[in-house]
Amino acid sequence: MAGRKVKIEVRNLSKHFDDLIVLHQMDFDIYEGEFLCVVGPTGCGKTTFCNVVTGLLPITEGSITMGGEKIDFKKHNVSFVFQEPSCIPWRTIWDDVKIGLEIRKVPKKEINERVSAILDLTGLTEFKDFYPSQISAGMKQRVVIARSFVTEPDLLLMDEPFGQLDSSTRFYIENQLIKVWQKTKRTIIFVTHNLEEAVYLSERILVCTQKPTGIKEEVIVDLPHPRDITDREFVKIRNRVTDLVKWW
Amino acid sequence: MANDKNAGSGKLGTFGYNALALSIFILLWTIVSWISESLFLPTPWTVLKSFLDLCTYGDVEGISLGMHIFKSTLRIFAGFVAACILGIPLGILMGLYPRVYDSTKSVIEPIRFIPPVAWIPLVIVLLVGFSRYAFIIWLGAFFPIFIGTLLSVRSVNPTHIDVPRSFGAKRLYIIRKIVIPSTLPDIFTGMRVGMGIGWDCIMAAEMIGGENEGLGVMILKYAELIRIEDIMVGMIVIGAIGFFINEIFIFVERRVFKWKEAIVIS
Amino acid sequence: MTNNYAEKMKTMGLNFFTLAMVLVLWTLIAYWQKSPFFATPYDIVLGFVQMVTVGDVEGYRLWSHMLHSLVRVSAGFAAACLVGIPGGLLLGLYPKIYDRTRILVEPIRFISPIAWIPMAIVLLVGFSRYIFVIWVASFFPIFVSTLWSVRQVNAVYVNVARVAGASRLFIIRKIIFPSILPSVIGGMRISLGISWMCIVAAEMIGGQMVGIGRLILKSAMVTRMDLVVVGMISIGFVGYATNELIIFIEKRIFRWRAAVSIE
Repeated sequence: MAGRKVKIEVRNLSKHFDDLIVLHQMDFDIYEGEFLCVVGPTGCGKTTFCNVVTGLLPITEGSITMGGEKIDFKKHNVSFVFQEPSCIPWRTIWDDVKIGLEIRKVPKKEINERVSAILDLTGLTEFKDFYPSQISAGMKQRVVIARSFVTEPDLLLMDEPFGQLDSSTRFYIENQLIKVWQKTKRTIIFVTHNLEEAVYLSERILVCTQKPTGIKEEVIVDLPHPRDITDREFVKIRNRVTDLVKWW
Repeated sequence: MANDKNAGSGKLGTFGYNALALSIFILLWTIVSWISESLFLPTPWTVLKSFLDLCTYGDVEGISLGMHIFKSTLRIFAGFVAACILGIPLGILMGLYPRVYDSTKSVIEPIRFIPPVAWIPLVIVLLVGFSRYAFIIWLGAFFPIFIGTLLSVRSVNPTHIDVPRSFGAKRLYIIRKIVIPSTLPDIFTGMRVGMGIGWDCIMAAEMIGGENEGLGVMILKYAELIRIEDIMVGMIVIGAIGFFINEIFIFVERRVFKWKEAIVIS
Repeated sequence: MTNNYAEKMKTMGLNFFTLAMVLVLWTLIAYWQKSPFFATPYDIVLGFVQMVTVGDVEGYRLWSHMLHSLVRVSAGFAAACLVGIPGGLLLGLYPKIYDRTRILVEPIRFISPIAWIPMAIVLLVGFSRYIFVIWVASFFPIFVSTLWSVRQVNAVYVNVARVAGASRLFIIRKIIFPSILPSVIGGMRISLGISWMCIVAAEMIGGQMVGIGRLILKSAMVTRMDLVVVGMISIGFVGYATNELIIFIEKRIFRWRAAVSIE
């Protein structure tokens, strides 16, 4: 990993809710264009982690900086895929995907081009006039992914985005996510409790401890995409992560 | 949006602010009415005095406030009970046999859209005395209770019915143990709404109905005499009773439907 | 499909049958009673024709009564929307203001709008009396439903926009407003129902000679029961029509919501 450009620096990050310490002195870097997975037990504060990194919640101690500056939605281009379904019900797929561009006041012509391109890439073009209530859960999550990539974010946070999908849909969407990532080379932080998913997707995995959450270890996954979950190397890395996690 | 719950101090703060808001309001009211010296804007103290006078000496005809309140609530109570007795069983029955309701819609629906208040003149001609009021209240409260029950029976979760059926339960058992408990919250809501409408109707009925007793006719009498302070007393009493009845309903709902609340929390 | 169609026809037939039965029974009872207080369906039809062509005892025709009631309700209702929706939105966005002044607002909610009629008679004159009473009647359902729905906007939708760098105004216009709209319109429908009831009461008590409520009352005074029933049916019809209008608008605006029930 040495030699890669550091994108985000997290220093001594802590977050308390009154007396409850949720995040405890986390310290790590995120590289430019990296696919980073954060794994941890359920209820360890992964969602809090996301909310703090994006600035939706204030930090108690420490700092998170992007290019030397505190993360600010108005300045930085951040996208967030929320854990709960977040398709906006009164917007069609097309309108939902373009919301970020609309907020940034991108010219109409460019919006049309970029939205069409991303819908093509995610295979949603023929559903562009549908409302979220008319499509399946897997498709809704694809809409959210398209919506997050269309703004070409500097940082993309994904908080257990596939937790509610069945496994075949999940594989399909994971492959699509990798495809989009390889094409756009965005920086992604992907939070999950599914170890196989983490090994399948990421370049590097941060394993978290039980609450108060800190970083236990980092695991490098240096395998080419597309990955094979029955591959010897793959299984080896997965077992290693599983061992780390057994202490939960 | 974010309903931030403050700790104990916050709660006290909210209460304090409310007290402050109320005192500022009363102070402003007093000052404005003193300065204006208008017949149409009595001071809070005049209103308070009117209240005491109404309690002790009664109104222009010597009928005390207590008597007015008693008459109004008695009428409401009679009409409301009648509406419950008819509305709930009929609602359950028509909910269980949707055919009956679907085939008589052409008669029921038009009646539903005639405001109960519009019946008052007809009732004045056809009925006398107490029955006038009871009928109007009955009419006002009946439809919310009836429709609430009916729709609720129709929307009972089929799985909940299938559970005892798979154990071989009889129809009566299912109605008693599944249908009624699961419709009860909606019946209660219907009753609360019905009570609210009944309360509107009694006001109108008393103003138009021709008798001398009742809160509605009391405030109308004072309107003719242009005695704002007495009208205000009447309105405040009406609001207080309405509030009180509503609180009783909410209290009972909370007590009876604990299982429902658990769903809301999670 | 055909089965469904047959079922529908059968229900319709049964409805016609029930209606016919009621009308026949009504006529029979009225004939048998021979009472001036009991108008037959035929009398009512005649009364209706008279109301349309000649008018009531004072020469006001039915459409003029309906128009007056409709204008009064629309004016008061529009005023209630103009104050209630922005007010509810504002107090919903700043819940502290509402929580801290509740004690002034809440008690008024429980005063039956009809109890305001005597006050309106003393303080106001003519048209403004009716508008005020309708305003009071329809304000609270609109205001309260707006306020509560703002508090219940799903935080995820707000966060989606916030993370994308949206301004406060954008969030209010594009996220909060669309998501509260269904309950606002729901509140408006409840308000309208209450308004129709209150206008009848206000017209009966309020003193002007025109309006459906007044038509009903003055016809009752001269025991023209046929005209009383014509008035009642007219008010029911207008109430039904305005309710259907709102439902129609709801269905048009909320296609995204209607789709939910299809699924």
